[in-house]
Amino acid sequence: MSLWRDIRGTILPFWVTLRYLFRRPVTVCYPERKQTPAPRYRGRLVLTRDPDGEERCVACHLCSAACPVDCISMQAAEREDGRRHAAWFRINFSRCIFCGLCTEACPTLALQMTSEYELASRELLQVIYEKDELLIDGCGKNDGYNFYRLAGIGVAAPRGSNPGETPPVDFRSNLP
Amino acid sequence: MPTLIIDNQTVTVPEGTNVLEAAKRLGIEIPHFCHHEALGSVGACRLCAVEFREGPVKGIQMSCMVPAKDGMVVDTGSAEVLAYRAQVIEWLMTNHPHDCPVCDEGGECQLQDMTVAGGHGIRRYTGPKRTYQNQNLGPFIAHEMNRCIQCYRCVRTYQDYCGGTDFGVLGSRQRLYFGRFSDGPLESPFAGNLIDVCPTGVLTDKTYRFKSRIWDLQEAPSICPHCSLGCAVTPGARYRQLQRRRARTNNRTNGHFICDRGRFGYGYANHPDRPRYPLLGHRRVTWQEALAALQNKLQELGELFGPGSIGLLTSSRATLETQFLTKRWAAALGSDQLCFEAHPGRDLGARVAASQRLDRTASLEDVRNCDLAVLIGADPLSEAPMLALALRQAARRGARIVVVDPRPVELPLAYERHAVSVEKLGQLLRGLSRPQQSEFPSSMEELGGSLASALLAAKSPLLIGGTDLLGPQGTEAMQQAAEACSQPETPCRTMFLLAGPNSFGGALLSAEGPCFSSLLEGMEQGRIKALLCFEADPLADYPDRKRSRAALARLDMLAVFDCAATATLQEADLFFPTTAVEESTGTLINNEGRMQAFEQVFSAGTPLAESAGGSHPPRFFSRDIPGSEPQSAWGILGALMGRSADLLTLRSEIEKNDHRFAGLSQLEARGEGRRIAAPRQYSLSHQPNISGIMGSDQLQLLVTETLYGSELLSNLSSCLHESTPSAFVMLHPQDAARFKLEEGKKVLLGTPVGDLTLTLRIAGDMVPGMAIVPRLRGTVLEPLVPGTEPLPCRIEKA
Ligand code: SF4
Ligand code: SF4
Ligand code: SF4
Ligand code: SF4
Ligand code: FES
Repeated sequence: MSLWRDIRGTILPFWVTLRYLFRRPVTVCYPERKQTPAPRYRGRLVLTRDPDGEERCVACHLCSAACPVDCISMQAAEREDGRRHAAWFRINFSRCIFCGLCTEACPTLALQMTSEYELASRELLQVIYEKDELLIDGCGKNDGYNFYRLAGIGVAAPRGSNPGETPPVDFRSNLP
Repeated sequence: MPTLIIDNQTVTVPEGTNVLEAAKRLGIEIPHFCHHEALGSVGACRLCAVEFREGPVKGIQMSCMVPAKDGMVVDTGSAEVLAYRAQVIEWLMTNHPHDCPVCDEGGECQLQDMTVAGGHGIRRYTGPKRTYQNQNLGPFIAHEMNRCIQCYRCVRTYQDYCGGTDFGVLGSRQRLYFGRFSDGPLESPFAGNLIDVCPTGVLTDKTYRFKSRIWDLQEAPSICPHCSLGCAVTPGARYRQLQRRRARTNNRTNGHFICDRGRFGYGYANHPDRPRYPLLGHRRVTWQEALAALQNKLQELGELFGPGSIGLLTSSRATLETQFLTKRWAAALGSDQLCFEAHPGRDLGARVAASQRLDRTASLEDVRNCDLAVLIGADPLSEAPMLALALRQAARRGARIVVVDPRPVELPLAYERHAVSVEKLGQLLRGLSRPQQSEFPSSMEELGGSLASALLAAKSPLLIGGTDLLGPQGTEAMQQAAEACSQPETPCRTMFLLAGPNSFGGALLSAEGPCFSSLLEGMEQGRIKALLCFEADPLADYPDRKRSRAALARLDMLAVFDCAATATLQEADLFFPTTAVEESTGTLINNEGRMQAFEQVFSAGTPLAESAGGSHPPRFFSRDIPGSEPQSAWGILGALMGRSADLLTLRSEIEKNDHRFAGLSQLEARGEGRRIAAPRQYSLSHQPNISGIMGSDQLQLLVTETLYGSELLSNLSSCLHESTPSAFVMLHPQDAARFKLEEGKKVLLGTPVGDLTLTLRIAGDMVPGMAIVPRLRGTVLEPLVPGTEPLPCRIEKA
């Protein structure tokens, strides 16, 4: 019995090799030819803008808290009109494991993953991205969402004039 | 002592404890909003529901409203209870905005925690949400009313606990509004506590706005360094910047709250002008160079003029460890020219205060529980703000509070007020120390007699004195008065307000040592050639600045070790940067002799916000941290003496060396601190009373502390500047009429430091014949230092 198994075990690999000699290769000649990853591929992160063209990120620190390898850092600041935004925002892609937890945590849908995967570099600082390199000019995958129109803060539109809000109460009135 | 069963565990609690607190003793946290240990229960939020299975009450009840009783069987997590709580949370969330990402409370928000704990995740209510307009509540507190859950904690804190009147609840039904009637800064000096008590993000710290999240902050238990009470605080730092202070709980001292000076006075650690590297002359040098220069100079002076030519000075800002090592080093150098406070009056005052019997010394807890407090020459809001809050709690329980003071003392409570001149305060105290003989001066007979009998009759009477106004003699007189007004079962305790957070430690260590006047004499005569100042500022703190400036100018070497850009630093030949309280560990002894350890919050360094200029952190790799050169003063002293810089060894040594510090090495920063084991040996050598007799129409000038602007470190905090008054002088209406002066107008005040142009304020509740000015650093009033005898002055129209 075992003799038969040994013979089969010796011949089969040669047969497989022989078969693949006449198949088309699955590898591509990277970098001359590039693969198009799937739409939900988890590649380099970007910061998107809301439909009004404003930065979506409010520097809430949720992505940096969610990140298991601590590669996001930022400082929040306040704009004249009360909008909270990131004074600076840094992602260290040499540490990032592309797990996507940050994008799941992001309440404003600012942080999104793209299909860009070409991040290798000999220069470490080249993969440390600052806000100006992360920020893109569009909404990315979610084009309708504007956090400030839903937050009641009165930044995108005056208080009480966003959908689903009543006008500010007049606490001086005792009428019903 | 009822015994009850909560979640199958048995617990026995004191009579009157509610079920919520009883459960806490077992480590069971029942979700709640409106209950607060310091504020009590009101049963408003309905979140703390539990099920009572057996006992006097049955069914679902609010655990905060039901006192624990024998035989109760309580289930805190039955299915019905959980469903009830989930409902309550869902109601609370119907109007809550969707703005946690831009809310500073996020991460430390009780509403977030309770929503998660209550299991409410998906919103079912689809109707519109209520919105509000916010108010500008001044420089300290940001307001975002949309987030309110109507728990009333803020009103109960502001109005009931702190005695503020300008913030409250307005409106009705669905329109409840927690704010002021109109925009404007909150008036109470305890307003910052709203930040801690509001369980949501309605009231947050404006100075900390958008700076961090709690999970990114470095925090550690610390002590407030801005007055002698030593309140427990939790500072938070990030990116080398001290970003906020919160109150920490210590039931013996501050309880749950702190004052706004303590909360917002943290800016000194980040001050852009803070000197962060060693200086030789005005040249930046390395630590090695600076230390070598110091050692060489000391050796040279020692050889030429003997060890007595070296003077050493620390201050009430220095930690016990620093003070102790300074003393050790003085001994090693062979110098006896060592002093622990640059202000002789304050030095002697603290020495007397520290000799009070420990069982006669009151803590803030004793103040909260007293039934009669007589304040003589003490202005709590200026000298020790949290004392005012403690007195208010006593008054709320029905205590009688009597204030005898030449100044217009304000307190957030109902109290009796007697305007009495400075000399008469001493006479009153001397009279009180012989209550039976009623030896009061004629004008004081009625007041003195009634106070003496009230003190003798009260259950827990208290005498509170400010050492600045009383001076060493007055402080001693108050101790004698307390002794005389004590009954065997009802001892009369005292509390003395001292100059700084560790005045007491200096007073204990100073023994019979010289005070700074005699060091100055030595400098003037050329006996003392070098002065080493450890976190001391003799130029600004010695009452006669001309004299101290001239004496310091005669020195061969002035070496300064400090964390702030003080006046003395400008004159220094050698400078060594030391750490701020938050950047190191140490021990401070507060005004009742409580040793309190504090831990390091963060490591010294120029804040990233400053070194990166608002932009992102630098894009290069380096091990050097900008501005990280400051070292703890005791660490530097250890290095100078060639000892190991281990805190625990040092503390054990202090403890072994001096039995009064017993227990120091076991002191935990998180605990309640520990009273010293024994008071100072009593020793006031009687000096002649130097108050000159002044003509009756001669105006006397009294310099006092103020809430903001007097204390060195908090005055470096820029967020307090908006609340700091501009230079003014106060007069009694009679005197104003006598000199034909008008309120609000500029007047010229002739003082020993020159003619000052000030704005006049008229105060009806002060004594006539006196002009009162606050000590305000950075103004024309800066050279005037409190804690001296009244000065002669004149006043006229500017
Ligand atoms: S993808 Fe993962 S590792 Fe990368 S930044 Fe986001 S959370 Fe961090
Ligand atoms: S979670 Fe989103 S909004 Fe918040 S800081 Fe990160 S990117 Fe900005
Ligand atoms: S402002 Fe804060 S403390 Fe006051 S009622 Fe609203 S949630 Fe409660
Ligand atoms: S009372 Fe004194 S120790 Fe307490 S917080 Fe205020 S300044 Fe600090
Ligand atoms: S804590 Fe008991 S009802 Fe609010």
